Amino acid sequence: MTLLDSILDLLVVATIALPAAACVLLALCAWFGVALSERRVASLVAVAFFGATVCALSSIVVLALLGRGAHVLRLGSWFAVADYSFDWCLLADRLSLPFASFVAGLTGLIAAFSRRYLHREQGFLRFYLLLALFGAASEVVVLAASLDQVFFGWELVGLASALLIAFFHERPKPVEHGFRAYVTYRICDVGLLGALVFLHHTSHASFEQAEPWFALAAAPTNDVATLGALLLLLASMGKSAQVPLGGWLPRAMEGPTPSSAIFYGAISIHLGPYLLLRAGPLFLQSPLASWSLIGVGAVTAMHATFVGRVQTDIKSVLAYASMTQVGLIFVEIGFGFHYVPLVHICGHAAVRSLEILRSPSLLHDQRHLEQAVGRQVARVPLHVDRLVPKALRPWLYRHALERGAFDVVLRSFVKRVLYGLRRLDALDRRLTRVLLRRSDDPSVVAPTGLQASHFAADVERDSDASRSEEQSS
Amino acid sequence: MTRALPLIAALVLCVVAVLVARCRAARAARSLAASCVACLAAIYVVAQLLAPHVAPELVALGDGSAVADQGWQASVPVIQLVVALLVVSFAPVATHAPRTLGVILASFAFSLALVACDDALLIALFWSAGTVVVGWEVRRLDRVCGSDCARPFFLYQGLALIALVVGTVAFALGAAGLGAIAWLLAIAIREAALPLHGWLPAIADRVPLGLLVAFLAPQPGVYAQLVVLQDITGGRLAEAFAIVAASTSVAAAGIGLVQVSARRAAVWLVISQTALIAFGLENVSVVGRAGAILAWHVMALATSGFLMTLAAIEARRGALSLVAASGCFARTPRMATAFLLLGLASVSLPLTLGFAAEDLLVQGTVQSYPVLGLAVIVATALNGIQVLRCFFALFTGTHVHSGEMDLNRREFAAMTVVLGILLFGGMAPRLFVPTPAVQNVPALRSH
Repeated sequence: MTLLDSILDLLVVATIALPAAACVLLALCAWFGVALSERRVASLVAVAFFGATVCALSSIVVLALLGRGAHVLRLGSWFAVADYSFDWCLLADRLSLPFASFVAGLTGLIAAFSRRYLHREQGFLRFYLLLALFGAASEVVVLAASLDQVFFGWELVGLASALLIAFFHERPKPVEHGFRAYVTYRICDVGLLGALVFLHHTSHASFEQAEPWFALAAAPTNDVATLGALLLLLASMGKSAQVPLGGWLPRAMEGPTPSSAIFYGAISIHLGPYLLLRAGPLFLQSPLASWSLIGVGAVTAMHATFVGRVQTDIKSVLAYASMTQVGLIFVEIGFGFHYVPLVHICGHAAVRSLEILRSPSLLHDQRHLEQAVGRQVARVPLHVDRLVPKALRPWLYRHALERGAFDVVLRSFVKRVLYGLRRLDALDRRLTRVLLRRSDDPSVVAPTGLQASHFAADVERDSDASRSEEQSS
Repeated sequence: MTRALPLIAALVLCVVAVLVARCRAARAARSLAASCVACLAAIYVVAQLLAPHVAPELVALGDGSAVADQGWQASVPVIQLVVALLVVSFAPVATHAPRTLGVILASFAFSLALVACDDALLIALFWSAGTVVVGWEVRRLDRVCGSDCARPFFLYQGLALIALVVGTVAFALGAAGLGAIAWLLAIAIREAALPLHGWLPAIADRVPLGLLVAFLAPQPGVYAQLVVLQDITGGRLAEAFAIVAASTSVAAAGIGLVQVSARRAAVWLVISQTALIAFGLENVSVVGRAGAILAWHVMALATSGFLMTLAAIEARRGALSLVAASGCFARTPRMATAFLLLGLASVSLPLTLGFAAEDLLVQGTVQSYPVLGLAVIVATALNGIQVLRCFFALFTGTHVHSGEMDLNRREFAAMTVVLGILLFGGMAPRLFVPTPAVQNVPALRSH
């Protein structure tokens, strides 16, 4: 191993370690009640991410100097039992390093921006803690060399996302929407974990150490590749808000604007396409999975572009615009492009996050623009709208207003499932009552009230004892 | 073989239980219990580290022919002492009178004694003693406040004890198959596997949570599966038990999602997670079994913490409902954070020890039961949703509060220990993963 190899190893590790260290430090301060000024908190996170950006950019330079396309960094076994070992293995290549630099740089900028935006906000430290957690977890997803490690980061990104949507926790709506996003993530994560286990089970005769992504090209049969790819598609659909699971995205804009910008305009929403890019070999091996990917992307793009046009608030418009672009990226990946989606992701993420960051000042900006040009700014011509046949327009308008009725269908499906579960629960209670010959419903018993009355005497005795102790002292 | 250190700890805990039960003031009893258990846990850890070097005879009693603890056996008493510390630190005085606290400590003492033995007869004896002492307190509560919780408890646990006795006698007579079936029945009842779960939701709303945790957390069934039944169950019997456990985990996770009472939701979460452990233990893969043992430790810490935090919130606010978000995070940030972290640790959040447990469990079970492995994944996903549902319902949604306090110093210290283990374990799971796995433990050592 050359000196440059060692330097590259250090730089790649630091790209993840710096944000993770900031997160741990803030978590310890929050738990032990160490008061930090807003300036310190923001500086800590911003410096950590700028450091990570520098490391990631330097890694690109070192990789170029080494003259290699990829560098696999094996950090060793994290835990192992018998022939199974969870190995930490990072992959620095032409796909991961630009994306890692982009993630770190953008998160650092958002950290710097948010200092003023969230000034004197009650949850200032919480915001930065979750931002650092998200950034570190995203870096893990990006630099991971196997699905096991992707799952590690993927879960944390989902959690940070849900908690930031519910950041303004005193209002019921953000909480409701944060929960909805988490439910979608969690259900779709079944796809990722399923793919992970399925590919482990089918691709290797026995448990082997984590293999870099290109081992996915060695899926034994087309059926295995198809099922693995479809499971990964499910995971990506949830994270990237693709039809029919994308209803959470416009609602997720209830969170603070900076987190909306970085999660739903820039990084989190693009982790789905990034995963699909990594799993490219599986999709290449399976035409069914590729066409499914193209289908999901195309339908999402069409749906989101129409729905976005009838939205009346800027954040919803931007959310649907994000969905449209991510749908197109899905289509590009489905057609087997590799670097075009990467450029599309970075370009779209930069523009969209800027737009979301400026969205609260939309009217202000518009007024300034009109003052500068000295006249009313012309409306954007309705090019796309004119392309739609007249007969279809009312139907399409209604479809857009109802957001394609996907939410209604999903809600009725979930309701049916919950109704079934309630029936099961009611049956269980009835059986228990019959078995125990009870006439009451156990759920109506107030747990503490009942016991509190019984223990009231103890408490009274206790307070008497402490009172007498005080008197004697 | 019997291990001496856990037995000594159990004896000390029994003495403390008597002292605590005799206290007149509830607060004084709780302070005494918390400080004694904290000291005992600290001394135990130090003794465990020093014993093999200073006094090797303390490690094993009896025939002494067998090698000392397997790795996982050494950590079980420590985990149980930490859970005991958590329970007594969080037990609200309104619902945990000195006598209840004494029973809780006695229950933990019997659990410690149980994990000191490898002998089927002794395990059955301490299992029964633990059940009887808790049942005694449940009956007292039933009589005093008419909570109507004794009947379901005695009906189901009585059946479990009968099955345990039948199994032990069958083992003694050499009918290992019948013995295994009887023990598995007892384990299924104790772990509230469907359809033998009725006692747990029925008493969940009616007994002090500390007592419930003291009964649920040690999971003697898991220990029995590992030590007594390991080489007996196999083939169709193991497969049948695995199917029951996997179905229980998914069904319980689903039913938990429609509960409106926080207690019942938490109890269904426990049923689901416990079933996952039982499922992991019933497969032939060493990886799956190691995952199940680790999940057992994680579950003992995380779900006990989850339930005891619930008890603390209940003591501050009254009965808790999950119908709508009605808490104030800003008022109790530490308690909310601890509740969330413990809940997520129990459902395998990365960065906690639960992640390594689930990874091993899933990877191992898929080898033995590919289709049932999917059940583990689905159950974990649903339980994750349940944890966040509880968190949002109990700690967010309004700025109105009843002036409730955040964690006090005693609670904070206990919680820091538990979270410290779970989070440090999440970063360095290698230290906690039971590497020598569960193999070659002669079954039925007494025979």
